[in-house]
Amino acid sequence: MIESQRHSYHLVDPSPWPISGSLGALATTVGGVMYMHSFQGGATLLSLGLIFILYTMFVWWRDVLRESTLEGHHTKVVQLGPRYGFILFIVSEVMFLFALFRASSHSSLAPTVEIGGIWPPKGIAVLDPREIPFLNTLIPLSSGAAVTWAHHAILAGKEKRAVYALVATVSLALVFTAFQGMEYYQAPSTISDSIYGSTFFLATGFHGFHVIIGTLFSIICGIRQYLGHLTKEHHVGFEAAAWYWHFVDVVRLFPFVSIYWWGGI
Amino acid sequence: MASAILRSSLRTALRGGSRPNPASKRSFSSGASAEEEAREAAKWEKITYAGIAGCTILAVVNLSKGHPHFDEPPPYPYLHIRNKEFPWGPDGLFEVKEHH
Repeated sequence: MIESQRHSYHLVDPSPWPISGSLGALATTVGGVMYMHSFQGGATLLSLGLIFILYTMFVWWRDVLRESTLEGHHTKVVQLGPRYGFILFIVSEVMFLFALFRASSHSSLAPTVEIGGIWPPKGIAVLDPREIPFLNTLIPLSSGAAVTWAHHAILAGKEKRAVYALVATVSLALVFTAFQGMEYYQAPSTISDSIYGSTFFLATGFHGFHVIIGTLFSIICGIRQYLGHLTKEHHVGFEAAAWYWHFVDVVRLFPFVSIYWWGGI
Repeated sequence: MASAILRSSLRTALRGGSRPNPASKRSFSSGASAEEEAREAAKWEKITYAGIAGCTILAVVNLSKGHPHFDEPPPYPYLHIRNKEFPWGPDGLFEVKEHH
């Protein structure tokens, strides 16, 4: 096969995963709407849909890893595709989170008379931004330093150090999520407490969700580094995870400054 | 397989030895040497340790303060909004609070 190929492009084999992912997404959406409207069987359909999507993600990425490592299809020119694709994905994520922060600014810059004409709204107690919120900004930034350490270790060919650096990255990420959970548990307001609660928990919650995705991405990279999948010359998956992780830790600065700090005084 | 390797090495030799191929350079990279990368790795390792030390101190300080207590606000209409019951019951996910 490979010997007869006279170009550096990857012509993919037919795959069942796009259609299975689409069916999983359909079941998740319909099940989710049914669940939220308390229809019978909604929770079951939602769970089945999510399991289907998770299964599809697993087997699809398994195929991509085999094409990359075992079959060697990811040539220099093929690597450009996922790189540009991932950059565009992160750009779309920036726009998504910008909309959530903008919703908070829109509500807080000129607070309406219904919430007392002040921000935070009358009766809403807020957290001290110098306590957990500041710590939980420093933790992702330190984790970002750790992923940069991992990147340079990979480029220097220090395989073991790269695994240690990724363990540090993931550990800091888990500590962040633990503190964020503690903060939510102790918070004086909830998502159903005025526009403050809606915008605060929507923005910080979606940021936290992105931290969890980035954590899983870094764990996968750590395992792949340990297994020797990543080389000095070829580690697109790790690069994507590092870009994503920097995006997540830089984005944390915006809710910290505008929602916790400015919005809390 | 063996003949393919022989053929490709013969081709390389005919082309004038192992000339650096511009396509083999990693795209999107600065192309630093291994020594430079090792130095950078050591620098970022130190920054990571400094970050972990700072975070640990701040975490100990914050956790030793204990958790904050807030007074119950007056029942303004925009607080604790309920238009219909959640699928899982009457309380929100983070609403179960300790009262003490």
